[in-house]
Amino acid sequence: MMDYKTLRREIENIETLPTLPSVLHKLLRVIENPKVSLEEIGNVISNDPVLTTRVLRAVNSPIYGFPGRIASINQSLVLLGVNLIRGLLLGVSVFEAMKKALAGLWEHSVGCATAARIISQKIGLKEPEEVAVAALLHDIGKVIFSLKFPADYERVLEDVAQRELFVFQGEKEFFEINHADAGGWIAQKWHFPPALTEIIEYHHKPHLARQVPVPTAVVHLSDILVRARGFGFAGDPFVPAIHPQAWELLKLSEEDLEVILRELDDSLDVAGDFLALG
Amino acid sequence: MPKLTISDLKPGMRLLKPVTNPSGMVLLTDGLELTEGLIDRLRKMEIESVFVRGGNKLTRPKDVLLSELDYRFKKTETEPQMAVLKRILADHIAGLYEDDGL
Repeated sequence: MMDYKTLRREIENIETLPTLPSVLHKLLRVIENPKVSLEEIGNVISNDPVLTTRVLRAVNSPIYGFPGRIASINQSLVLLGVNLIRGLLLGVSVFEAMKKALAGLWEHSVGCATAARIISQKIGLKEPEEVAVAALLHDIGKVIFSLKFPADYERVLEDVAQRELFVFQGEKEFFEINHADAGGWIAQKWHFPPALTEIIEYHHKPHLARQVPVPTAVVHLSDILVRARGFGFAGDPFVPAIHPQAWELLKLSEEDLEVILRELDDSLDVAGDFLALG
Repeated sequence: MPKLTISDLKPGMRLLKPVTNPSGMVLLTDGLELTEGLIDRLRKMEIESVFVRGGNKLTRPKDVLLSELDYRFKKTETEPQMAVLKRILADHIAGLYEDDGL
């Protein structure tokens, strides 16, 4: 494999990829600009009917918990804010790539986003939607690997399946980094808000999060719960261990977890339309 | 998927979402338990599919779901908290089948 520096440069230059959905290409300019205004984002979205539909479907999906109540792009922007919409735009525009990267990854991501929103509300976090978007994007590194190194990544996935590894183990063996590292690089390159970057980078090592340890622990647990529930597919079928510090930090009782699972099932029951989003 | 076509509906299933006509009028409210008669009415109204509670979970036997759960946890069930988590999941899955009969 190539050296670390070259790998990082390759990954960061993802926008030069011809396979990237054209809509994402256009959006990257907006997403990459940290000073983009509400109005500019609104214009980009509203000028594209496909994108408008996707954003409206996404904001009305069970991920956010106000299903069916948001009727316009402007309303979405006001309710969710620029940063959230930037993340969401990336989510809805990479979903094809997600589906192509790994059958089941989109479902896994939506499941995690929904779980993260439910857990955040349960423990009283102020911005449950922001944690939900971070969860939607937490596996972006897998998409990056698959877009940038399709043949290599397929080999990694086959190897992971054959040897019954966790996908992050297989990635590390081959690339010397895992999808969380790759996701963190790309999040920095795209000037994601620091909280979002940290969650993506540390969703498998929540004890290393410094700025947003609790939201990082929430996404870490969401990933585990959604895998445990058997919803979607994230590259391997196994449930990773919960980090003891994340468990301590969240202080959820067994009863809390039962309630969270029931709410997750109910939300995902009505998520069908959004999951099939096209 | 929780949205089932009329031919897959069985008496005893409960509606997750209300059934409406094309203009949005509610024909059957959510939570309603389906009977042969109601399923027949849906068919006559030419409604193609409805949202059903647990529609995506109960299509397979409980034992299969539980053995899949075993498989998913096999790498980590000895780690701290993971046995607890697995038991909660197993109870949750078993509970879905009990709810169904209500």
